[in-house]
Amino acid sequence: MGLPLFDAQSDPGPSFVRFAELAGLTTTPHHTELSAHATTVVAVRYDGGVVMVADRQATSYYVANRDVRKIEAADRYTALAISGSAARGLEFIRLAQLSFEHYEKMTDSALSLEGKANYLSPLVQRNNLTSTLVVLPLLAGWDLAHQRGRVFEYDGAGGCYERQDFAVIGSGSPFADSTLRLGFTPDMSREDALALAALAIYEAADNDPSTGGPDFVRDIFPMLVTLTSEGFRELDQETASATFRAINDRRSASRGVAGGTLR
Amino acid sequence: MSNYFYVAPEQLIKDRAEFAQKGIARGRSIVAAIYDVGVVMVAENPSASLNKISEIYDRIAFAGVGKYNEFDRLREAGIRWADGTGYTYSREDVDARALANFYAQHLGDMFTEGQKPLEVEILVAQLGNKFRPTKLYRVAYEGTISDETDFAVLGGDAETIKGRFADLEVGRLTLAQTLKNAVSALAGPDRQLPVGDLEVGVLEDRGDRRTFARLDDEQIARLLA
Repeated sequence: MGLPLFDAQSDPGPSFVRFAELAGLTTTPHHTELSAHATTVVAVRYDGGVVMVADRQATSYYVANRDVRKIEAADRYTALAISGSAARGLEFIRLAQLSFEHYEKMTDSALSLEGKANYLSPLVQRNNLTSTLVVLPLLAGWDLAHQRGRVFEYDGAGGCYERQDFAVIGSGSPFADSTLRLGFTPDMSREDALALAALAIYEAADNDPSTGGPDFVRDIFPMLVTLTSEGFRELDQETASATFRAINDRRSASRGVAGGTLR
Repeated sequence: MSNYFYVAPEQLIKDRAEFAQKGIARGRSIVAAIYDVGVVMVAENPSASLNKISEIYDRIAFAGVGKYNEFDRLREAGIRWADGTGYTYSREDVDARALANFYAQHLGDMFTEGQKPLEVEILVAQLGNKFRPTKLYRVAYEGTISDETDFAVLGGDAETIKGRFADLEVGRLTLAQTLKNAVSALAGPDRQLPVGDLEVGVLEDRGDRRTFARLDDEQIARLLA
Protein backbone atom coordinates (compact mmCIF):
# COMPACT_ATOMS: atom_id res chain seq x y z
CA MET A 1 0.00 0.00 0.00
CA GLY A 2 1.30 3.45 -0.92
CA LEU A 3 0.97 6.57 1.23
CA PRO A 4 -2.80 7.23 1.37
CA LEU A 5 -3.03 10.94 0.56
CA PHE A 6 -6.40 12.42 -0.41
CA ASP A 7 -7.40 15.82 -1.71
CA ALA A 8 -9.83 17.89 0.31
CA GLN A 9 -12.91 16.69 -1.64
CA SER A 10 -12.31 12.95 -1.44
CA ASP A 11 -10.77 12.91 2.06
CA PRO A 12 -12.45 10.21 4.17
CA GLY A 13 -11.89 12.15 7.41
CA PRO A 14 -11.35 10.27 10.66
CA SER A 15 -13.62 7.34 9.74
CA PHE A 16 -11.54 4.20 9.29
CA VAL A 17 -14.38 2.38 7.56
CA ARG A 18 -14.76 5.04 4.86
CA PHE A 19 -11.02 5.05 4.36
CA ALA A 20 -10.89 1.24 4.19
CA GLU A 21 -13.63 1.23 1.56
CA LEU A 22 -11.87 3.88 -0.54
CA ALA A 23 -8.60 1.98 -0.27
CA GLY A 24 -10.26 -1.36 -1.08
CA LEU A 25 -9.26 -2.98 2.22
CA THR A 26 -12.72 -4.34 3.06
CA THR A 27 -14.31 -7.23 1.19
CA THR A 28 -17.96 -7.54 0.21
CA PRO A 29 -19.70 -10.40 1.97
CA HIS A 30 -20.62 -13.51 -0.06
CA HIS A 31 -23.80 -15.54 0.25
CA THR A 32 -22.23 -18.94 0.57
CA GLU A 33 -22.31 -21.14 3.62
CA LEU A 34 -23.37 -20.59 7.18
CA SER A 35 -20.45 -20.53 9.55
CA ALA A 36 -20.47 -21.21 13.26
CA HIS A 37 -22.74 -18.99 15.31
CA ALA A 38 -25.23 -18.93 18.20
CA THR A 39 -24.48 -17.35 21.48
CA THR A 40 -25.87 -15.75 24.58
CA VAL A 41 -24.47 -12.49 25.92
CA VAL A 42 -26.07 -10.33 28.61
CA ALA A 43 -25.28 -6.83 29.85
CA VAL A 44 -26.80 -5.57 33.10
CA ARG A 45 -26.63 -1.99 34.40
CA TYR A 46 -26.09 -1.26 38.05
CA ASP A 47 -25.19 1.86 40.01
CA GLY A 48 -21.46 1.69 39.44
CA GLY A 49 -21.50 0.67 35.77
CA VAL A 50 -22.32 -2.38 33.69
CA VAL A 51 -21.59 -6.10 34.05
CA MET A 52 -21.46 -8.40 31.05
CA VAL A 53 -21.43 -12.19 30.83
CA ALA A 54 -21.00 -14.26 27.67
CA ASP A 55 -20.90 -17.98 26.93
CA ARG A 56 -17.83 -19.37 25.14
CA GLN A 57 -19.24 -21.82 22.61
CA ALA A 58 -19.28 -21.52 18.80
CA THR A 59 -21.81 -23.84 17.23
CA SER A 60 -22.52 -24.94 13.66
CA TYR A 61 -24.07 -28.44 13.30
CA TYR A 62 -21.74 -29.49 16.08
CA VAL A 63 -19.65 -27.68 18.67
CA ALA A 64 -17.04 -25.82 16.61
CA ASN A 65 -15.12 -24.12 19.39
CA ARG A 66 -15.34 -24.17 23.18
CA ASP A 67 -13.34 -21.11 24.18
CA VAL A 68 -14.43 -18.25 21.95
CA ARG A 69 -14.15 -14.74 23.40
CA LYS A 70 -17.39 -13.02 22.52
CA ILE A 71 -16.73 -9.86 24.54
CA GLU A 72 -13.75 -7.69 23.70
CA ALA A 73 -12.59 -4.31 24.93
CA ALA A 74 -13.32 -1.90 22.09
CA ASP A 75 -11.21 0.62 23.97
CA ARG A 76 -10.39 1.36 27.61
CA TYR A 77 -13.97 2.19 28.64
CA THR A 78 -16.04 0.27 26.10
CA ALA A 79 -16.89 -3.39 25.56
CA LEU A 80 -18.27 -4.88 22.39
CA ALA A 81 -19.98 -8.28 22.29
CA ILE A 82 -21.21 -10.14 19.23
CA SER A 83 -23.75 -12.78 18.35
CA GLY A 84 -24.43 -14.41 15.00
CA SER A 85 -21.84 -15.47 12.46
CA ALA A 86 -18.51 -15.95 14.26
CA ALA A 87 -16.39 -15.07 11.24
CA ARG A 88 -18.22 -11.82 10.54
CA GLY A 89 -18.60 -11.06 14.24
CA LEU A 90 -14.90 -11.26 15.05
CA GLU A 91 -14.19 -9.14 11.98
CA PHE A 92 -16.83 -6.70 13.20
CA ILE A 93 -15.07 -6.35 16.56
CA ARG A 94 -11.71 -5.80 14.85
CA LEU A 95 -13.15 -3.11 12.60
CA ALA A 96 -14.91 -1.36 15.49
CA GLN A 97 -11.82 -1.40 17.73
CA LEU A 98 -9.69 0.00 14.94
CA SER A 99 -12.30 2.62 14.01
CA PHE A 100 -12.45 4.05 17.53
CA GLU A 101 -8.66 4.17 17.82
CA HIS A 102 -8.31 5.62 14.32
CA TYR A 103 -10.74 8.41 15.14
CA GLU A 104 -8.90 9.16 18.35
CA LYS A 105 -5.52 9.41 16.64
CA MET A 106 -6.79 11.43 13.67
CA THR A 107 -8.63 14.03 15.74
CA ASP A 108 -6.69 13.81 19.01
CA SER A 109 -9.92 13.29 20.96
CA ALA A 110 -11.86 10.14 21.80
CA LEU A 111 -15.37 9.53 20.45
CA SER A 112 -18.19 9.88 22.97
CA LEU A 113 -19.89 6.63 24.00
CA GLU A 114 -23.01 7.64 22.08
CA GLY A 115 -20.82 8.48 19.08
CA LYS A 116 -19.38 4.96 19.18
CA ALA A 117 -22.85 3.43 19.47
CA ASN A 118 -24.14 5.40 16.47
CA TYR A 119 -21.03 4.65 14.43
CA LEU A 120 -21.85 0.92 14.61
CA SER A 121 -25.39 1.32 13.20
CA PRO A 122 -24.46 1.57 9.50
CA LEU A 123 -21.90 -1.23 9.94
CA VAL A 124 -24.62 -3.55 11.28
CA GLN A 125 -26.99 -2.42 8.55
CA ARG A 126 -24.47 -2.91 5.75
CA ASN A 127 -23.49 -6.36 6.97
CA ASN A 128 -26.97 -7.68 7.63
CA LEU A 129 -28.69 -6.35 4.54
CA THR A 130 -26.02 -7.67 2.18
CA SER A 131 -25.24 -11.03 3.77
CA THR A 132 -26.93 -14.08 5.23
CA LEU A 133 -24.15 -14.12 7.81
CA VAL A 134 -26.00 -11.94 10.27
CA VAL A 135 -24.17 -10.22 13.12
CA LEU A 136 -25.77 -8.44 16.07
CA PRO A 137 -23.51 -6.53 18.43
CA LEU A 138 -24.03 -5.29 21.97
CA LEU A 139 -22.15 -2.21 23.09
CA ALA A 140 -21.67 -1.31 26.74
CA GLY A 141 -19.38 1.15 28.38
CA TRP A 142 -18.63 3.71 31.01
CA ASP A 143 -19.64 7.14 29.73
CA LEU A 144 -16.87 9.49 30.88
CA ALA A 145 -18.86 12.62 30.09
CA HIS A 146 -22.00 11.54 31.98
CA GLN A 147 -20.27 9.37 34.60
CA ARG A 148 -22.49 6.32 34.30
CA GLY A 149 -22.61 2.92 32.65
CA ARG A 150 -24.64 2.68 29.44
CA VAL A 151 -25.88 -0.22 27.31
CA PHE A 152 -26.82 -0.11 23.61
CA GLU A 153 -28.46 -2.90 21.62
CA TYR A 154 -29.13 -3.18 17.88
CA ASP A 155 -31.77 -4.71 15.68
CA GLY A 156 -31.01 -6.55 12.43
CA ALA A 157 -31.47 -3.44 10.30
CA GLY A 158 -28.93 -1.46 12.30
CA GLY A 159 -31.30 0.38 14.61
CA CYS A 160 -29.54 1.36 17.85
CA TYR A 161 -31.44 1.43 21.13
CA GLU A 162 -30.21 2.43 24.54
CA ARG A 163 -31.41 0.21 27.40
CA GLN A 164 -31.85 1.49 30.93
CA ASP A 165 -31.93 -1.94 32.61
CA PHE A 166 -30.33 -4.81 30.68
CA ALA A 167 -29.82 -6.16 27.17
CA VAL A 168 -29.51 -9.69 25.79
CA ILE A 169 -28.31 -11.00 22.42
CA GLY A 170 -28.02 -14.48 20.87
CA SER A 171 -30.00 -17.67 20.43
CA GLY A 172 -30.38 -18.21 24.18
CA SER A 173 -32.01 -14.79 24.59
CA PRO A 174 -35.54 -15.93 25.63
CA PHE A 175 -34.19 -17.81 28.67
CA ALA A 176 -31.61 -15.21 29.66
CA ASP A 177 -34.11 -12.42 29.15
CA SER A 178 -36.74 -14.10 31.34
CA THR A 179 -34.21 -14.62 34.12
CA LEU A 180 -33.11 -10.99 34.01
CA ARG A 181 -36.68 -9.75 33.77
CA LEU A 182 -37.61 -11.54 36.99
CA GLY A 183 -34.40 -10.84 38.87
CA PHE A 184 -33.53 -7.26 37.89
CA THR A 185 -33.88 -4.45 40.41
CA PRO A 186 -32.54 -0.92 39.86
CA ASP A 187 -30.57 -0.85 43.13
CA MET A 188 -28.33 -3.87 42.61
CA SER A 189 -24.74 -3.97 43.79
CA ARG A 190 -21.96 -5.10 41.48
CA GLU A 191 -22.00 -8.56 43.09
CA ASP A 192 -25.79 -8.87 42.71
CA ALA A 193 -25.60 -7.80 39.08
CA LEU A 194 -22.80 -10.28 38.35
CA ALA A 195 -24.65 -13.13 40.08
CA LEU A 196 -27.85 -12.37 38.17
CA ALA A 197 -26.09 -12.03 34.80
CA ALA A 198 -24.24 -15.32 35.40
CA LEU A 199 -27.52 -17.03 36.31
CA ALA A 200 -29.07 -15.73 33.07
CA ILE A 201 -26.27 -17.35 31.07
CA TYR A 202 -26.62 -20.56 33.12
CA GLU A 203 -30.35 -20.72 32.30
CA ALA A 204 -29.70 -19.99 28.61
CA ALA A 205 -27.07 -22.74 28.44
CA ASP A 206 -29.41 -25.12 30.23
CA ASN A 207 -32.17 -24.63 27.64
CA ASP A 208 -30.49 -23.57 24.41
CA PRO A 209 -28.31 -26.27 22.77
CA SER A 210 -26.28 -23.57 20.96
CA THR A 211 -25.20 -21.82 24.14
CA GLY A 212 -22.33 -23.28 26.12
CA GLY A 213 -22.57 -23.43 29.91
CA PRO A 214 -19.78 -23.74 32.45
CA ASP A 215 -17.47 -26.55 31.34
CA PHE A 216 -16.26 -28.20 34.57
CA VAL A 217 -14.41 -30.91 32.63
CA ARG A 218 -12.17 -28.51 30.71
CA ASP A 219 -12.32 -25.66 33.23
CA ILE A 220 -13.77 -23.25 30.69
CA PHE A 221 -16.26 -20.75 32.09
CA PRO A 222 -18.33 -17.94 30.60
CA MET A 223 -16.56 -14.57 30.45
CA LEU A 224 -17.37 -12.06 33.21
CA VAL A 225 -16.63 -8.42 32.45
CA THR A 226 -17.23 -5.19 34.39
CA LEU A 227 -17.27 -1.64 33.02
CA THR A 228 -16.81 1.02 35.68
CA SER A 229 -15.14 4.40 36.10
CA GLU A 230 -11.94 2.33 36.15
CA GLY A 231 -12.66 1.04 32.65
CA PHE A 232 -12.96 -2.42 31.12
CA ARG A 233 -12.04 -5.32 33.41
CA GLU A 234 -12.27 -9.01 32.69
CA LEU A 235 -12.64 -11.05 35.87
CA ASP A 236 -10.25 -13.97 36.23
CA GLN A 237 -11.16 -17.60 35.65
CA GLU A 238 -11.14 -18.38 39.41
CA THR A 239 -13.94 -15.85 39.98
CA ALA A 240 -15.87 -17.19 36.98
CA SER A 241 -15.36 -20.73 38.20
CA ALA A 242 -16.53 -19.91 41.75
CA THR A 243 -19.58 -18.02 40.46
CA PHE A 244 -20.75 -20.88 38.25
CA ARG A 245 -19.89 -23.62 40.73
CA ALA A 246 -22.12 -21.90 43.29
CA ILE A 247 -25.06 -21.80 40.86
CA ASN A 248 -24.40 -25.39 39.81
CA ASP A 249 -24.24 -26.66 43.41
CA ARG A 250 -27.57 -25.03 44.26
CA ARG A 251 -29.13 -26.47 41.12
CA SER A 252 -27.70 -29.94 41.83
CA ALA A 253 -29.03 -29.82 45.40
CA SER A 254 -32.54 -29.16 44.10
CA ARG A 255 -32.09 -31.81 41.38
CA GLY A 256 -32.35 -29.31 38.55
CA VAL A 257 -35.42 -27.51 39.80
CA ALA A 258 -35.06 -23.73 39.89
CA GLY A 259 -37.63 -23.91 42.66
CA GLY A 260 -39.48 -20.68 41.97
CA THR A 261 -36.65 -18.51 43.25
CA LEU A 262 -33.81 -16.93 41.40
CA ARG A 263 -31.25 -18.19 43.86
CA MET B 1 2.80 32.80 -28.67
CA SER B 2 4.18 32.73 -25.21
CA ASN B 3 7.85 32.65 -24.53
CA TYR B 4 9.51 29.99 -22.37
CA PHE B 5 12.76 31.02 -20.79
CA TYR B 6 15.42 28.45 -20.17
CA VAL B 7 16.21 27.89 -16.52
CA ALA B 8 19.20 25.72 -15.69
CA PRO B 9 18.22 22.70 -13.51
CA GLU B 10 20.84 23.74 -10.93
CA GLN B 11 19.16 27.13 -10.62
CA LEU B 12 15.70 25.57 -10.41
CA ILE B 13 16.68 23.22 -7.60
CA LYS B 14 18.47 26.00 -5.76
CA ASP B 15 15.43 28.28 -5.97
CA ARG B 16 13.09 25.55 -4.78
CA ALA B 17 15.38 24.62 -1.90
CA GLU B 18 15.65 28.25 -0.82
CA PHE B 19 11.89 28.62 -0.96
CA ALA B 20 11.33 25.55 1.23
CA GLN B 21 14.07 26.48 3.70
CA LYS B 22 12.61 29.95 4.15
CA GLY B 23 9.19 28.51 4.90
CA ILE B 24 10.59 26.03 7.43
CA ALA B 25 12.81 28.66 9.11
CA ARG B 26 9.73 30.75 9.97
CA GLY B 27 8.47 28.12 12.44
CA ARG B 28 9.82 26.99 15.81
CA SER B 29 12.01 23.92 16.20
CA ILE B 30 11.60 20.42 17.64
CA VAL B 31 14.10 18.27 19.51
CA ALA B 32 13.58 14.49 19.56
CA ALA B 33 15.88 12.27 21.60
CA ILE B 34 16.24 8.69 22.74
CA TYR B 35 16.47 8.42 26.54
CA ASP B 36 17.22 5.36 28.69
CA VAL B 37 13.82 3.69 28.23
CA GLY B 38 12.03 5.60 25.50
CA VAL B 39 11.86 8.43 23.01
CA VAL B 40 10.92 12.01 23.87
CA MET B 41 9.88 14.74 21.42
CA VAL B 42 9.87 18.36 22.56
CA ALA B 43 8.40 21.21 20.51
CA GLU B 44 8.13 24.89 21.16
CA ASN B 45 4.44 25.38 20.47
CA PRO B 46 2.28 28.04 22.13
CA SER B 47 -0.90 26.42 20.76
CA ALA B 48 -2.41 23.69 22.93
CA SER B 49 -4.57 22.27 20.15
CA LEU B 50 -2.62 22.58 16.89
CA ASN B 51 -0.18 19.80 17.60
CA LYS B 52 3.21 19.24 16.04
CA ILE B 53 3.74 15.87 17.73
CA SER B 54 1.32 12.99 17.55
CA GLU B 55 0.69 9.27 17.71
CA ILE B 56 0.83 7.22 14.51
CA TYR B 57 0.71 3.66 15.82
CA ASP B 58 1.41 1.47 18.83
CA ARG B 59 5.15 2.24 18.83
CA ILE B 60 5.43 5.01 16.24
CA ALA B 61 5.14 8.78 16.67
CA PHE B 62 5.25 11.70 14.26
CA ALA B 63 6.64 15.22 14.57
CA GLY B 64 6.55 17.97 11.99
CA VAL B 65 7.75 21.54 11.57
CA GLY B 66 6.99 24.12 8.91
CA LYS B 67 3.58 24.75 7.40
CA TYR B 68 0.94 23.25 9.68
CA ASN B 69 -1.57 22.27 6.97
CA GLU B 70 1.13 20.49 4.99
CA PHE B 71 2.62 18.37 7.78
CA ASP B 72 -0.78 17.67 9.31
CA ARG B 73 -1.88 16.13 6.00
CA LEU B 74 1.22 13.92 6.12
CA ARG B 75 0.41 12.97 9.72
CA GLU B 76 -3.11 11.90 8.71
CA ALA B 77 -1.76 9.90 5.76
CA GLY B 78 0.68 8.21 8.15
CA ILE B 79 -2.08 7.15 10.56
CA ARG B 80 -4.14 5.83 7.65
CA TRP B 81 -1.20 3.95 6.25
CA ALA B 82 -0.34 2.41 9.64
CA ASP B 83 -3.93 1.44 10.56
CA GLY B 84 -4.50 0.10 7.04
CA THR B 85 -1.33 -1.98 7.07
CA GLY B 86 -2.03 -3.34 10.56
CA TYR B 87 -5.62 -4.21 9.57
CA THR B 88 -4.54 -5.97 6.36
CA TYR B 89 -1.61 -7.89 7.85
CA SER B 90 -0.79 -7.73 11.55
CA ARG B 91 0.00 -5.01 14.09
CA GLU B 92 3.57 -6.36 14.19
CA ASP B 93 4.05 -5.60 10.50
CA VAL B 94 3.73 -1.84 10.86
CA ASP B 95 7.27 -0.52 10.56
CA ALA B 96 8.51 3.07 10.88
CA ARG B 97 11.16 2.61 8.21
CA ALA B 98 8.56 1.77 5.57
CA LEU B 99 6.53 4.82 6.56
CA ALA B 100 9.58 7.10 6.54
CA ASN B 101 10.39 5.84 3.04
CA PHE B 102 6.90 6.69 1.82
CA TYR B 103 7.21 10.17 3.29
CA ALA B 104 10.61 10.57 1.63
CA GLN B 105 9.20 9.51 -1.74
CA HIS B 106 6.27 11.88 -1.46
CA LEU B 107 8.38 14.85 -0.34
CA GLY B 108 10.91 14.08 -3.11
CA ASP B 109 8.15 13.97 -5.72
CA MET B 110 6.66 17.23 -4.52
CA PHE B 111 10.08 18.86 -4.54
CA THR B 112 10.86 17.99 -8.15
CA GLU B 113 7.42 17.74 -9.75
CA GLY B 114 5.01 19.64 -7.54
CA GLN B 115 3.75 23.18 -8.06
CA LYS B 116 5.90 24.07 -5.09
CA PRO B 117 7.93 22.01 -2.64
CA LEU B 118 6.34 21.25 0.73
CA GLU B 119 7.67 23.59 3.40
CA VAL B 120 8.00 20.89 6.04
CA GLU B 121 10.51 18.73 7.79
CA ILE B 122 9.26 15.66 9.58
CA LEU B 123 10.37 12.99 12.00
CA VAL B 124 9.16 9.41 12.37
CA ALA B 125 10.16 7.92 15.73
CA GLN B 126 9.91 4.26 16.61
CA LEU B 127 10.20 2.72 20.07
CA GLY B 128 12.08 -0.55 19.75
CA ASN B 129 11.22 -3.98 21.07
CA LYS B 130 12.81 -7.39 20.64
CA PHE B 131 11.94 -7.38 16.92
CA ARG B 132 12.80 -3.80 15.96
CA PRO B 133 15.32 -1.17 17.03
CA THR B 134 14.50 2.24 18.49
CA LYS B 135 14.83 4.66 15.57
CA LEU B 136 14.57 8.31 14.64
CA TYR B 137 14.06 8.95 10.92
CA ARG B 138 14.28 12.58 9.82
CA VAL B 139 12.84 13.41 6.42
CA ALA B 140 13.75 16.79 4.90
CA TYR B 141 11.64 18.92 2.51
CA GLU B 142 13.39 17.54 -0.58
CA GLY B 143 12.97 13.90 0.46
CA THR B 144 16.36 13.27 2.04
CA ILE B 145 15.91 10.65 4.74
CA SER B 146 18.39 10.34 7.56
CA ASP B 147 18.60 7.78 10.31
CA GLU B 148 19.62 9.72 13.42
CA THR B 149 21.39 7.68 16.07
CA ASP B 150 20.70 9.48 19.35
CA PHE B 151 18.73 12.63 18.69
CA ALA B 152 17.35 14.81 15.90
CA VAL B 153 16.55 18.49 15.60
CA LEU B 154 14.00 19.79 13.11
CA GLY B 155 13.36 23.35 12.03
CA GLY B 156 15.10 26.49 10.88
CA ASP B 157 17.57 26.90 13.70
CA ALA B 158 18.48 23.21 13.72
CA GLU B 159 22.28 23.49 13.55
CA THR B 160 22.57 25.86 16.53
CA ILE B 161 20.14 23.87 18.66
CA LYS B 162 21.84 20.64 17.66
CA GLY B 163 25.18 22.00 18.90
CA ARG B 164 23.69 23.11 22.22
CA PHE B 165 21.89 19.81 22.78
CA ALA B 166 24.94 17.68 21.86
CA ASP B 167 26.96 19.49 24.52
CA LEU B 168 24.41 18.71 27.22
CA GLU B 169 23.20 15.22 26.32
CA VAL B 170 25.95 12.72 27.05
CA GLY B 171 24.90 9.08 26.71
CA ARG B 172 21.42 7.79 27.48
CA LEU B 173 19.92 9.80 30.34
CA THR B 174 16.60 9.72 32.18
CA LEU B 175 13.43 11.29 30.77
CA ALA B 176 13.63 14.23 33.20
CA GLN B 177 17.27 14.99 32.35
CA THR B 178 16.75 14.61 28.59
CA LEU B 179 13.69 16.86 28.73
CA LYS B 180 15.64 19.50 30.68
CA ASN B 181 18.45 19.38 28.10
CA ALA B 182 16.01 19.60 25.19
CA VAL B 183 14.22 22.59 26.70
CA SER B 184 17.42 24.48 27.41
CA ALA B 185 18.75 23.69 23.92
CA LEU B 186 15.50 25.00 22.38
CA ALA B 187 15.53 28.13 24.55
CA GLY B 188 19.18 29.06 24.10
CA PRO B 189 21.26 31.10 26.55
CA ASP B 190 19.15 34.28 26.68
CA ARG B 191 15.63 32.92 26.91
CA GLN B 192 13.38 30.96 29.29
CA LEU B 193 10.63 28.82 27.77
CA PRO B 194 7.43 28.79 29.85
CA VAL B 195 5.85 25.35 30.38
CA GLY B 196 2.73 26.51 28.54
CA ASP B 197 4.78 26.97 25.36
CA LEU B 198 6.03 23.39 25.36
CA GLU B 199 4.49 20.41 23.63
CA VAL B 200 5.94 17.10 24.76
CA GLY B 201 5.21 13.59 23.52
CA VAL B 202 6.88 10.37 24.65
CA LEU B 203 7.04 6.77 23.49
CA GLU B 204 7.60 4.49 26.46
CA ASP B 205 6.51 0.99 27.51
CA ARG B 206 3.93 1.11 30.31
CA GLY B 207 2.52 -2.37 29.82
CA ASP B 208 -0.10 -1.19 27.29
CA ARG B 209 -0.15 -1.89 23.57
CA ARG B 210 -0.08 1.83 22.79
CA THR B 211 3.12 3.48 23.97
CA PHE B 212 2.54 7.11 22.96
CA ALA B 213 1.64 9.65 25.62
CA ARG B 214 1.24 13.39 25.58
CA LEU B 215 2.54 15.10 28.72
CA ASP B 216 0.34 17.84 30.19
CA ASP B 217 1.71 21.08 31.69
CA GLU B 218 1.68 19.66 35.19
CA GLN B 219 3.69 16.56 34.19
CA ILE B 220 6.18 18.70 32.24
CA ALA B 221 6.62 21.10 35.17
CA ARG B 222 7.23 18.17 37.53
CA LEU B 223 9.89 16.69 35.23
CA LEU B 224 11.61 20.04 34.75
CA ALA B 225 11.64 20.84 38.48
